[in-house]
This record gives sequence, C-alpha cells and structure tokens, in this order.
Amino acid sequence: MLMIKRTLLSFVAICLAFISQAGTIKGKIRDSKTGEPMTGATVTLANTRYWTTVQLDGTFTFRHVPAGKYQLTASAVGYQRSTPVEVVLSSDNDEKDLALSLSVSTTTLEEVQISAASGGSDNTARRIEQRSDMVQNILSARTIEISPDITVANALQRVSGVVIQRDNTGDGRYAIIRGMDQRYNNTLVNGIKIPSPDDKYRFVPMNIFPAEMLERLEVIKALTPNMEGDAIGGTMNLVMKNAPDKFIFSANGSLGYSTIFNDNPFVAFPHAGINKQSPAEIHGNDYGAAVSDFTTNNLKFYNRATPINNTLGFTIGDRFLDKKLGIILSASYQDLYKGAVSERLVPDAQPLPSPDPNTLNPSDSYVRTYSTRTNRIGLQNKIDYLFNDRNRISLFNLYLHQDQFETRYTPDSSSAGLNSTATQTLVKPEYRSRWQIQDIYNATLQGNHQLSNKVRVDWSGVYSIAKQQIPDMASYTWDQVVYREASGKTDSIRNTIPQGTSNAVTHRWQHNKDQDWAGYGNVEYKPSLFQREFAFQLGGLYRYKTRDSYNNDYALQAVNGGAPYSGLDGEELYFQATGQNKGSYTAINAQSYTAHEKVAAGYIMTRFLLVPKFQVLGGVRVENTQDDYTTVLPKTSTIGASGTIHYTDVLPSVHLKYSLQSNQNLRLSYFKSISRPGFGDLVPITDNSNEEFTFLGNPYLKHVRADNLDLRYELFPGLADQFLVGAFYKHLTNPIEYYVTNVNGPSSLYLRPQNTNEATNYGAEIVFTKYWGVFGISANYTYTHSEVTTTKRLYGLVSGSIQTQNINQSRPLQGQADHVGNFSLLLKDPRWGLDAQLALAYTGTRIVQVSPYYGLDIWGKPIAQLDLSVEKRLYRRLVFFAKINNLTNSPNKEYIKFPYTKVNANLPSGYTIPFQDGGSNYTVAQKDIYKISYLGGLRYKF
Amino acid sequence: MYKINLALLILSSALVFSGCTKWAEDKQNIYVYQAPPPPGGAIPTNTPLCGSIKGVMQTGQTYVLGCTINVPKGDTLILEQGVTVYADTTSGIIVHGTLISLGTQAQPNVFTVKGITKDNTPNLPLNQDPAHKGLWKGIMCDTSCRLLVLKWTHLDFAGASYGNVDGPAVEESSGTSFNIVFQNPNGYCIIEDCWFYGGTDDCMRISNGKLHIFRNTFEKCGGSGGDIVNCKGGSVGTIAYNFFIGTAYNGQKASNKGQPVGAPQCNIVMYNSTFVNGGVRITAGSRAGGIDYEQGAEGAFYNNAFINCRVGYRVVNNPVADTLHLTYGNNYQWADSLVIADQFFTYGGVCTKPQPTDIPRPSLYLPANFYYPNPPANAYDGTPVVQYENPKFVNYPLPVVGQPLFAYTSIGSFNFHLLPGSSLIGKGNTTIKPLVVVPIDPIYGATEVTPPGADIGCYQINGSGNQH
Repeated sequence: MLMIKRTLLSFVAICLAFISQAGTIKGKIRDSKTGEPMTGATVTLANTRYWTTVQLDGTFTFRHVPAGKYQLTASAVGYQRSTPVEVVLSSDNDEKDLALSLSVSTTTLEEVQISAASGGSDNTARRIEQRSDMVQNILSARTIEISPDITVANALQRVSGVVIQRDNTGDGRYAIIRGMDQRYNNTLVNGIKIPSPDDKYRFVPMNIFPAEMLERLEVIKALTPNMEGDAIGGTMNLVMKNAPDKFIFSANGSLGYSTIFNDNPFVAFPHAGINKQSPAEIHGNDYGAAVSDFTTNNLKFYNRATPINNTLGFTIGDRFLDKKLGIILSASYQDLYKGAVSERLVPDAQPLPSPDPNTLNPSDSYVRTYSTRTNRIGLQNKIDYLFNDRNRISLFNLYLHQDQFETRYTPDSSSAGLNSTATQTLVKPEYRSRWQIQDIYNATLQGNHQLSNKVRVDWSGVYSIAKQQIPDMASYTWDQVVYREASGKTDSIRNTIPQGTSNAVTHRWQHNKDQDWAGYGNVEYKPSLFQREFAFQLGGLYRYKTRDSYNNDYALQAVNGGAPYSGLDGEELYFQATGQNKGSYTAINAQSYTAHEKVAAGYIMTRFLLVPKFQVLGGVRVENTQDDYTTVLPKTSTIGASGTIHYTDVLPSVHLKYSLQSNQNLRLSYFKSISRPGFGDLVPITDNSNEEFTFLGNPYLKHVRADNLDLRYELFPGLADQFLVGAFYKHLTNPIEYYVTNVNGPSSLYLRPQNTNEATNYGAEIVFTKYWGVFGISANYTYTHSEVTTTKRLYGLVSGSIQTQNINQSRPLQGQADHVGNFSLLLKDPRWGLDAQLALAYTGTRIVQVSPYYGLDIWGKPIAQLDLSVEKRLYRRLVFFAKINNLTNSPNKEYIKFPYTKVNANLPSGYTIPFQDGGSNYTVAQKDIYKISYLGGLRYKF
Repeated sequence: MYKINLALLILSSALVFSGCTKWAEDKQNIYVYQAPPPPGGAIPTNTPLCGSIKGVMQTGQTYVLGCTINVPKGDTLILEQGVTVYADTTSGIIVHGTLISLGTQAQPNVFTVKGITKDNTPNLPLNQDPAHKGLWKGIMCDTSCRLLVLKWTHLDFAGASYGNVDGPAVEESSGTSFNIVFQNPNGYCIIEDCWFYGGTDDCMRISNGKLHIFRNTFEKCGGSGGDIVNCKGGSVGTIAYNFFIGTAYNGQKASNKGQPVGAPQCNIVMYNSTFVNGGVRITAGSRAGGIDYEQGAEGAFYNNAFINCRVGYRVVNNPVADTLHLTYGNNYQWADSLVIADQFFTYGGVCTKPQPTDIPRPSLYLPANFYYPNPPANAYDGTPVVQYENPKFVNYPLPVVGQPLFAYTSIGSFNFHLLPGSSLIGKGNTTIKPLVVVPIDPIYGATEVTPPGADIGCYQINGSGNQH
C-alpha cells in the first residue's frame, strides 16, 4: 500500500515539475558515431550538486541554476567521458542550449560495441533491429528489467507474434512464434544452441532462465545461412551480459506473494525421504520390489500458511590488466510459490452416436488444485581477453538449476457420465507429489580474430549438458460415493479403499540427460569486387549429442478394496499381477534408451549492395543429421528396439533489404528450414503418465521441412520509436501433429506424433512504439492463419446402425491463435527515476488439444492478461521496483464447440455438467484460476 | 548489367539447391524383430518351447514353454486331445495366425502352471490366492489372427502382465493381463466347453471379432477388477450356456466402445448363462455383477440366472446402450438377503426395464410408478423377493449358511445342476434366435450351436446345455 502511495506522489510531483520556471541549462547528447540520443547518460555540473540524466529524446535540462560559470560533462557506460564544456549563466533567467556528443570507448571490437556500449537499452535494440540482416524483434535488458516479468518465458510474450504456453500455475513456459508450436522454434544462448532438460523434446523450457541475466532477447524470424536451420517459427537468442569496460556492480532483492493462497492453502510435502533411484535401479531390473521399498513420506502432505516469494540477484564485473581482461559474474536466485485452481470436464474416449453424430459426452469432471514451489538458481560468468584490437578470446559459463515441488490435489474427481446421477456421484480423490530437478550447464570457449582488413575468423568450442530428474513422483487415491438429497444437498459420503484394477498408490522415477559437444567456425572475407564491397562468409558446425533417458513406474493395489477407508496408513498394499513388482512390468521399457545425434552443417553466404541502397544477402546451408537410438528392449521386440535415421537438408535463403530512406527499410526474404523430431517422439515409447491417453512414440516420423517467405517495412523515426509492418507465408511439408489414433483394440487409443501431409501458415504483423515526452505506447499485433488437414472419426448412425467412419477435417495448427497482440502504456521519466508499465497481452482463440473425433477439438478462449510494473529511483543508485501480475485475475478457459445444453440433454435427468457458461453455445472443458501475484523489492546499481 | 547477372546467378543457384529435396528424404532403419519361420510338423516335447511355432502338439503329450511362443501370420498350431502345456510368468502364446485346441470331454487339454494347486478356501484374500496372481500370460491374439478355436480346454492361472515385449507385439499395453485377447473384426473366436480358473483382469477381452462362446465354466475370474467375457465395438455373435462363479465385475458385457472404422456395431445375443456370486469387487451403483449392455451395444439377453450377484443385470443409460435394438426377458434373480434384492434393479445411470417374464415377477416388489430410465437409490423395497423361488441346485444350499455373501468364488465340491422342482425349470424362452456368425466344423469351427433352453440357466434338466 505504501508503495502505491509513493507512486501516486511521484506522479503528482512530475506534474508540478512541468510548471516550474528558472535559470536553465539544457541540451542534447548524442552518440558521436551514430547520432543516436544518449538516453540514460549522466550529465553533471562539476563541483556542484547538480546532475541529471538524459531523457528518451536525448535531451537534458537543469532548472533553477543560479547564475555563474559551470563545467558541464557527460558520461555513459562504455563511452569516454566528454571533455568539460564551459557554460556561463549570466542571470537567473538565462537559458543555455548545448549539443554534446560522446564517443565509444575504443577497447572493444566493433561487433560488440553495440551491446557493450549502452548496457542493453531500448535504443540499442532498435538500432540492431534496423541494421540487422534479417527479420527480428528485440527486447533489451532494460525493457525486460522494467517489465512485469521475472522469467524469460514471460518476457517473450511481449514480443510481437509470440504466444506463451503456460504451465499448471499459469506461468509462461514455452513460446509459440507466429502460430508455430514450440517444436518449430529453437533456443540459443549467445548464438549457441543449448540442449533441453525436457524428458521428450528438444525445446527448452523458457521459464528456467531468470530474466535479469539477459543483455537482450532476440527473436529472429528469418534465418540466414550462418544460423542453424532448425527453426520454422523463429529462433530465440538469449544474449547474456558481456564483461564491462569498467567496474560495475548491481544487486537486487524482492519479496512477493500470490493471492491464490488467500483462499486455498499452499500444500507442501516432505522431500527428505525421497529415493533418487527406483528399486530396479538400485537392485537391478529383475528385482521384484516389496511394498516396504517405497516411502510414503512424500505423500504426507501438509499446509503452509502465507508462503512468501523472494528473489535475489547480483552482477559484478570489471576489466583488468590494462583493460585486456574482462570478467563478469551474475547470479540470480528465485524462490516462488505459485498455485492454481483448475476445473475440468473430461470428454469420454468415445462420443455418442446420436442424436447427432459425435455428440459430446463427458466421462469425468473434477476440480484440481496445484501448489508449486519453484527454486531457481542462475549463474553466469564471462571472461574475455583482448590480446590486441584484432584478437580476442572469451570463455562463457552458464549454469541453471531449478527445483520444482508440485502438489496436485484432486479432491473430487467424479465420473460425470457413466455412473453419476443427480442423487449420487462416484468420486476418486487423488493426491500427487512431484519433485522435478532440472539443470542446464553450458561452457563456450570462443575466439575472434581479424586476420587482415579483409579476413575475419571466429570459432567456438562448446560443451553443454541438460538434465532432468523426477525421483519418485507418487500418488494415492481412494473411492468415494457422495449421496445427495433431491435438493442437491449432500446427504452422506462413503469412503472406501480403492477397488478394481485402479491403482491405490503409484511411484514413478524418470530422468534424462542430454550432453552436447560442438564446434563452430566461421570465416569472413570482405573484398571489393565490381567496385562494391562484398562480404563472403563460410563456416560450419559439428555437434555430437548423447542422450540418456530412464523411466520406471510401480503401481500398487489395495488388498481390501471396498472396505471402509481411513487413510493411507491403514491400507494394506500389494502388487497384483505377476511382474508388476518389477515396475513398468519388468523395468524394461522403451522409455529407457540411449540416443546419439550427429549434426554436421556447412554454409556459404554472401552479402553485398546491389545498388547503394539495396542489400542482398544470400547463400545456402547444408545440414546432415544422423540419429540413432537403442532402447533397453530385447532384440525380439516388434516395435523397434533400436534404429537409425539419416537425412540431409539443403537450405537456401535470400534476404533482400532496401533502404527507402536512412530510417526506413523494406525487406523481403526467403528461407528454407527444418524441424527435427525430438527423441521422445521418435523412440517407440509407451507412456501412460498422460491422463487421458497413452502416448506412443513413432520411429517412422519424418522431420519437417518448411519454405518461408517474409516481407516487412520498417520505420525508425528515432529514439526508441518504431513502426514495423510485415507479412509472412510458410509452407510445411510433413508437419508433426499429435493426435489420438486407435492403434488397435477398443481401449488402446494412443496419443501419437504423426506427420500430416502439409500445412500452410500465413499472417501479418504490426509493431508500433512511440514516446511523447515521458509517456509512451508500445503495441504489436499479429494475425495468423494456418491450415492442416487430418483424418478424424465420425461416430453416428448409418441407416439405423451405429458406424465409425473416417472423415477429413481442416483446422488451424495446434496452438496457433489467429489474433495475438500486446499493448503497453509506458511512463519513463529519467529525471525522477520513474518507470511504469501497464502491459496487456492478448492471445486469441486457438486449439489446445486435437480430438480424434470430428468437431470435438478443445479450444482455448481468448485470454488477456494485464500486468503492472513500477520502478522508482529512491536515491541515486538505489531503485525500488514492484511487479504485479494478472491484475484482472484472467482465467484460462478451454472449450469444445458443442453446446453444453445438448450434453445435458443426454445425461440422466436431473444431472447436469458443472463449470458451464450459462447461455453459451459451447461446453467448457477446463477453467484455470491463478489470481493476482505481487512482487516488490530494491535494486542497487553501482 | 553484371549486377543483375550476379543476382540472377545467386537466385538461380538457390533455386537449384532448393530443388534437391531428395536429399532431405529421411532414411530410417528401424530394427523390428522378424520371427524366423517355424519348422512345423510334430512339436518336439524334449525341450522347452520358445519363439515361432507351428504344427501339431500330439495327443497325450506334455509341453513346456521356455518363453512366449508365437504362431506367425498364416501359420497354424493345433493341439490334439489330452495335451498339457506348462507355462510360467515369462511365457504365453501369441497368435498372429491360427490356434486350435481340440480337447475332448474324455481327454481335455490343459494350459496351466506346473506345481500350483487350486485353493478353494472360502473368503481367501486376493493377495493370498494363487488364482489371482497371474502366473502366465495367456493367449494373446493380435489383429491378424483369423481363427482361435478352444474346445474342452482348461486355461488355469493366467493373468500375468504381457510386459513390454509381448504387449506391444499384439498392440496391447505392457500392463495388459487378459487371459485371452481377441481383436480381429473379421476373425472367428470359438470357445466351447472350456474351463477358466483365475485371473487378474478381464478373462476374455473380445476387442472385436465374430464369436461363439458356448458352455464354458469360469471360476475366480478377474482380480481386483475385470469383466469376464468383455465384448467391445465390432464384436458380433452368441454367448450362451456359460457358468460363472465369483466374478470380479460382470460375467458378460457388451459395449460398442472403440468400434473400428468399417467394423460392425457390437451385437451380442446372450442366453442361458448362470452367474453365482457375481460382482465380488464392485460397488453398487457403478457396475453390474452379471450382464451389462452399454454404450451403443445391441442384441438380446434371455433365460439367464443370477444367484446372489451384488448388482442385477444392467442396461446402461449413459453412454446409453442401443435400446432400440436390445430385447431381454425371462431372467431369474435370487437374493439371500435384502442387500442383494435391493439391487435387482440397481440405481444410477441405468435404464433396465423390468420385464413381466422376469422371475421374480417385477409386480411382486417394484412400485407401479418405478421410474426405470433413471432410478434413484432405494426406489423400492426388495423384502418380498428375498429367498424367493429357490433354484434348488444339486449341491449348493441356498441361502448360504455360515459364510458371508461372496465367500465362494469357485465350484469346489458344489454342484449347480438342477434338482427336479427347481423354479428355473420350464421358465425359459425358446424362441430366441442365436446369432450364428462362425463356421460349424469339428476342427475349424464350432461343434454345436445349442439353441435356447427351456430351463433358465446353463444346466438343463434334460442334460443338454453346459456339459461340465
């Protein structure tokens, strides 16, 4: 509350400031080379108390300055301090207008100037976008710092054309770029691809990166031949902080709270007794486990009152040995408690054949609560050594560690259809604990050598490791019958020990590890040919990946099913069918495998000005991929115990850039790119951890190829302002879609990655940023339209008899929203050290889950999330900041395009499905509530 | 000019490269096990059997499975009479081709586990009963199996999990543990005069197929759950004259769930079966303990006897059975006590319509306004029909004395044939037409389609029906 009052006071103060009048020194500070405004530079009157910072438009003002003679200097990080300028104010009403420029410090090489120079400011970001050879959008460190976001995933949603896919607690996790699902995008750190700790996929969970570690975030939407070719939606490049020119130090810390825990307690579980290895790992695959081999400690849930979030971070850096050796170290720690309440209605595996074909019928409804504690550590360190102004080597280290403790509580999972009526409901409450440990480590040794004026060479040697462990994910359940009176009032509840083939207690161990060794090399040659400057670039990479995956799960059943239930402690458990005590029915399953991937790539690329304002960049990249996998399945397995997959892609690209004027570009580009299936898709895994359907891997899956076209007009009127408008078209061959397929048998429906013939995806985007003095607006909007056709089932009556038929249905790609936009109101007053941002992120309708049945896909309702962040300088280098997320408590809602009234019409009279929107013509399948969360703290920058 | 030429050169070379899509073709080499062709002929008895197999198991011989054997597509394995096959937890029989077991009344065939004895102690806990441990994997027919014939054959102690090799080999999950699975809508599944003892889940999962399941005996089938003869979408045929005791869930169930594209609607005619102590593992209100039609299944069920089943037969309301094409009647129910009688017409999502031909007559105990499409709990008082019209079995005194309900899950020394004067005699409907979809043949088909009997249940006073 205090914080809000202060903010209000600040606003009032700003208004007052506008009307004051006095003796004044004002002026503009620019970059001597680029002429860009030096926003944020410090201007001081030597030997006085007067100092100020340069505003967004490059201006500074000293008011109420007494008459006299002053020495004015300007300074900025990465720039040489300006030579003092003498200013004489002859009277109190005198006004002086100056123009100064600052030069970049000369110790850094040309290509790092941009980032080192201005500490990741907005303006720099605009300059990079403008000068870039390809289509990209950039978020600067400063933009991220003052945004409401503390993870890279959440920051990504501010980028034009990006939709984030959220985890169970509403936190962003993956990015969908231009309607292309996360599998079609890749993640780089400083231009180097990093592996994912995910158990199945290549894409990296973007919430593992604390946002404050970044210098800038680039979303590159058109690939050049010197970039890895496996991105169809786009490449996310996380550029980390470089070693500074001089000593820097900054630190921050904050506390926060999520209001979801006002109504629902945070449910925790002890993780001290958790065994990191399964009984089969400890004793061997033939070991038949006993009930006593399993702890129940992680099923002893308890409530934790008002959990407080906290974050800590610092960055320290300096340059030594005559400025030749630069070192930077940043660390970030986050301890966050998040939660969600999720209402769900589960469609039955098969609809009803009448009254209409594919009449939606639910099998289950439940309300679920999540309590998730996330503990994140990020460490980053870069050391560079400048031998001279032509040779530099650097060593970069990144370490990320995340522990996530998730309690999932489903107190009333009821069979909505089959066995419930108005007067009695069958319920299966379930508690589940899950401890997920994820690590990413990357070390990159890099060299840059200017061999001559025309030849430049760079190389990188990379080692990366990414791993995940989910030790002993455990759950327990029991049976419950709720009897109701005719009025709906609960009459009585009967709890019994779970019966039937349902599992009373489950334990699951999973871990996987990706290890990459890679080498990159590039040579650039810049001759003059045909009286023009040309740049030829040649290079390649080789990467050797080893991947291990392990999975085993154990299911225990209760002996006295049907007897009264009085808690887990009093329940006698056993393994029923022979073999079940070995876990996953012999501990030998395709989820335990070793895989390798060798990627060898080379490219040739040229860049030249065809006419003075017309830049052509073109070339071709060739990527060869050799994958192999070996599961622990015996040779007699009929589903593909091992396999090899080879392919080579030729990926041409052409990028044309025409500078209409010095601040306007017109771009046209074509590139071909691919997307490789993850090993979790390829290996013939059967995984029943998904609730509705068993997952089945597909070794015959082909990689995806895409032709991409981009057209964009860019206007950079100066400062941080910009206006971009563009269009894109993509054509995909063999796109991979997950859909449920009936491999055989009535209940053996599998969720399986499959190639569909082709898909198209096109759209248009517009980006607009404009400042008026201290106020600004930043907005972007993307329209996307995609289409893919797959075979679906139609279950209905054909001349009186029930038939299942195949029918084609065209639909958008999974996850693609037709309308995506961001709108932010910005306030930036460097004089008062005040920054505020009210940010709205909008995601339109999109398919969340594809149904095997025609017309029954699950769609996401449009969601608009409103976040606020405020930052106020308290004293010179000390800043207070606050971030408030989800101000309007926007729910995530998913629905099926089938009227809920028609669903109710087929249910036993008096029974209706819950969670519905009255008067709507759809059926709500899921609704997740996250509530508002607050974070506030201090940041100090030296 | 040269500028334009240069640009053209670059563009055209790019186009040439992009034309090379052949390069991008994925070359996969996935190792898939191909079983070597079996030698055929007389199967040797001197070594444990393992892997591909075809030919003949000869009269009176004993065979041991060393691991799972499989009959390749197009091949046939025939068991003559009096054959014994010993299996263990690592073995079962996969059938891609044809399996025929020709036991006879005099010399039945036996699939079992060596050294295990049946324990018929009443009230034996699940985890102490060898019947429910799943000691071998059973008969796993995949989608290419054209014919499965079992005649006069014992299948004991099956119900082990198929595991991660055999499961996927027959397109089932590794955890599946059915005693028999059949899943070819165009194949014939013929099971006559056989005995099934024990299990951990469904005893016979007919995912789809043309079936003929006559005159069999099922004891202790299912484990902590499981429907015993469970027919899904694409199954058509007749199930008759079977005897069930101590089933986990239903004895016979029909549902059109999972109907494959192009396969017929589930259409099953059931008659003259007897269900004793059915539904040991169910909760009233959720399942039936004898016969169940649901989710788009059509057909008919008549002349069945239900003795102390936890819940009476059900026609499910949601997802609803194909009630337009489902007829039933002449079904008999016996209750030792009120808790059973109160579930003759159970509550919840059912629409079982009481029939005037049912015994006891519904008008004896159901109120005139009984709302059968969605009956509430406690909709009627079953007191008038407790211990009503005793079936008079040769040796199974009713009501059961000295043991709780559902204590007996196997026959042991009991005898469920009828004594003269049984109230089941002469109450059957003999006009029902069996749905015959299988060939009649002494080897490659059914021996006998026994028509509906005059006496309710599987044993006829004239000696026809179930021959056990």
